[in-house]
Amino acid sequence: MAITQAMCTSFKSQLLTGTHNFTNSSGNTFKLALYAIGGGGKSGTTATLGATTTAFTTTGEVANSGSYSSGGGTLTNVTPSTSGTTAITDFADLSFTTATITARGALIYNSSATNAAVAVLDFGSDKTATSGTFTIQFPTADASNAIIRIA
Amino acid sequence: MISVGTGIDVGSIGVTTSDNGGLSSDQIAEMARKKIVYVSDDAPPAIKEQAQVFADRVEDVVRFYIDLAKREERGTICQTLRKAGHNDIADFIRRL
Repeated sequence: MAITQAMCTSFKSQLLTGTHNFTNSSGNTFKLALYAIGGGGKSGTTATLGATTTAFTTTGEVANSGSYSSGGGTLTNVTPSTSGTTAITDFADLSFTTATITARGALIYNSSATNAAVAVLDFGSDKTATSGTFTIQFPTADASNAIIRIA
Repeated sequence: MISVGTGIDVGSIGVTTSDNGGLSSDQIAEMARKKIVYVSDDAPPAIKEQAQVFADRVEDVVRFYIDLAKREERGTICQTLRKAGHNDIADFIRRL
């Protein structure tokens, strides 16, 4: 019962079959959902996420609160680019406001492609907002740090 | 044999939270600084030190203008409320 940061294996395969399009505006719609462990998910569920995750699931997802509702928030794609020999893509930061949330990790998935999983994010520890703002900040979009990098 | 080695990596995200209200100017300024300046752990010490000083300065400037924007926005809201006759609410917001 854990959340392990990983690029989902199914996503790697789907890259080779052209399932995902990260282009801004004209590309697919990607979402980010928040998850809890230790029974902190909705209805007391616990998330188990990692490289073998293939699609969005409500098991272990945090309960609706403030601007967070099941399925999470829609990400704003940044059209993929290259830095040296590395291809990178990025998303705009995402915030859930007036929310009471405790989350341990997140799942990025493609809601335009049967909710196919992209990547699992591990926060390292429980992160809590109480009647406040819960913000996900994506890393600098460069060859060393971008959220998705193909070197 | 021809082989092509490729690695697909996922980056590390940051999470910033607040209680009983939105993010503070300090939190937002820090988030902005992280987007503007990245100081590599592998950088030579002298360059790393200079970059850190620059990053701190960027964060100070961003924080100043965030605070200024918040004050100016509140001022505009207060004036709009006063025009509509809601002086009590305008005063409440002005004191935030």
